[in-house]
Amino acid sequence: MTLLLEAEGIEAYYGKSHILHGVSLSVAEGEVVTLLGRNGAGKTTTLRAIMRLTPPREGRVRIFGQDVTGWPTHRIARGSGNGGVGYVPEGRHMFRHLTVEENLRVPPPTPGQWSLATIFSLFPRLAERRTSKAGRLSGGEQEMLAIARALLLNPRLLLLDEPSQGLAPVIVEEVMQAVRRMRSEGTAILLVEQNAILALAFADRAYVLSDGAIIHEGPAAELAADSEKVKSLAGARASRAA
Amino acid sequence: MQLLLFGAFNGLIVGFFYALMALGLSLILGLNSVINFAHGGFMALGGYLAFTLAPFIGFWGALAVSPFAAAALGLVAERGLIRPLYGRDPLYSLLLTFGLALILEDMTRTIWGAQGVPFAIPDFLNHPLSDVYFFLTGYRLLVVIVAAVATGALFAVLRYTRLGVCIRAGNADLETVASLGVNIYLLRALNFALGILLAGLAGILAGGQLGLTPTMGSSLIMPSFVAIIVGGAGSLIGSLLGGLIIGVAAGVTTMYIPAASEVVIYLIMALVLLIRPRGLLGQEGLFE
Repeated sequence: MTLLLEAEGIEAYYGKSHILHGVSLSVAEGEVVTLLGRNGAGKTTTLRAIMRLTPPREGRVRIFGQDVTGWPTHRIARGSGNGGVGYVPEGRHMFRHLTVEENLRVPPPTPGQWSLATIFSLFPRLAERRTSKAGRLSGGEQEMLAIARALLLNPRLLLLDEPSQGLAPVIVEEVMQAVRRMRSEGTAILLVEQNAILALAFADRAYVLSDGAIIHEGPAAELAADSEKVKSLAGARASRAA
Repeated sequence: MQLLLFGAFNGLIVGFFYALMALGLSLILGLNSVINFAHGGFMALGGYLAFTLAPFIGFWGALAVSPFAAAALGLVAERGLIRPLYGRDPLYSLLLTFGLALILEDMTRTIWGAQGVPFAIPDFLNHPLSDVYFFLTGYRLLVVIVAAVATGALFAVLRYTRLGVCIRAGNADLETVASLGVNIYLLRALNFALGILLAGLAGILAGGQLGLTPTMGSSLIMPSFVAIIVGGAGSLIGSLLGGLIIGVAAGVTTMYIPAASEVVIYLIMALVLLIRPRGLLGQEGLFE
């Protein structure tokens, strides 16, 4: 199996506070990996460090086998001719005063299966609301728009940060349906989630992050079977859901 | 009535100069997060470049080429001087552009002289179009038309082109734009050049109307900042509106109380800030 993403010994800071202490993780081709952990464990920062939105001070990032350490964010997103990295940030980061269609015009047109037409067939609701301002969409529609926007880069790897956040269970199911479809098309996914039960049911492999370091790594099914362990590693949300 | 129309039309022309300047300043403030004090310097540069080019390529050629020449110089300044300061305290870029403004002003003084030069416009544009409305010359009409067309073109670019969509998206959240594969270094450079293009155009139009002096930039930049505040920071239509409002107000005031023509601009600003601190069309929460 080829590794799509390898992060090695990532050290990241926000100002003077040291957030990530040597985080290493990998995602193989077509694999779904989840990154769990309590609030403030450093999950979002890990994704931001991979995208170089929070440039890591130490460590290396390889994507599709190529060392991208030090590349600017937009080059990491576009990739180097063999598919890019789609990033769906926590809180969706819509361009609220732009229409749905305008939001989808921001990523540069990239050859591949995802175009405006195929995106609209995956998310018919976005097609219906194409001329609405993104700020007027419901939370679920905004999450779909954020995913759609990232898909237009035709990524081979998708970084999803808390896609279920603030959404009703029915809507979460709808969003996960779309993610499952991407997975079946062969897109590898690194999924950050507070909702460990949801993420473990979906992923092949799991990492658990605590205080900026990886404290557990293993098959998702194994971790899912041990709810006590999930509770102790990944926090209260999981125990309530279990 | 005649006097009022005269004042209002004069004001409309100056208002368009303010508006073109304010639009460029707003673009640069929005995406580059730079308060560009050198904007007036680039404006004067546009005018003087047209003055130098006109003998070779004619008035119309100079009108078409010089804004782009000014924009090219703006691009060099952005690449070489401003880019290293992105992401730092805004005070750095403010100091830098302030210094750049002084350099540009002295540069024009050294190259073209401190006295100011007359910018010759085609003769047929100098005549009044009507005996009654003696102030309505061909050139003044041209200024209004060119400025209006340029403004319309700017809004069309922002609304319909991918570059424009990215600029508007970047105003709100540049980081997310970068994460979607857009080269924000290039985007910021193009946006800066676009702002300077408008300044250069304003410089040429103003040169034909008011003459060219090395200080023309510094005398037009303050009212342009006022235009942004009156119209509302963050709104381009606000900047346009603000420029026209203070221009017309100053023009009309000149007719009746000449001494108050400059004060009135600041009175309007004070009034707007008292009643509606975000400006006429400004975004909520920027200053409140």
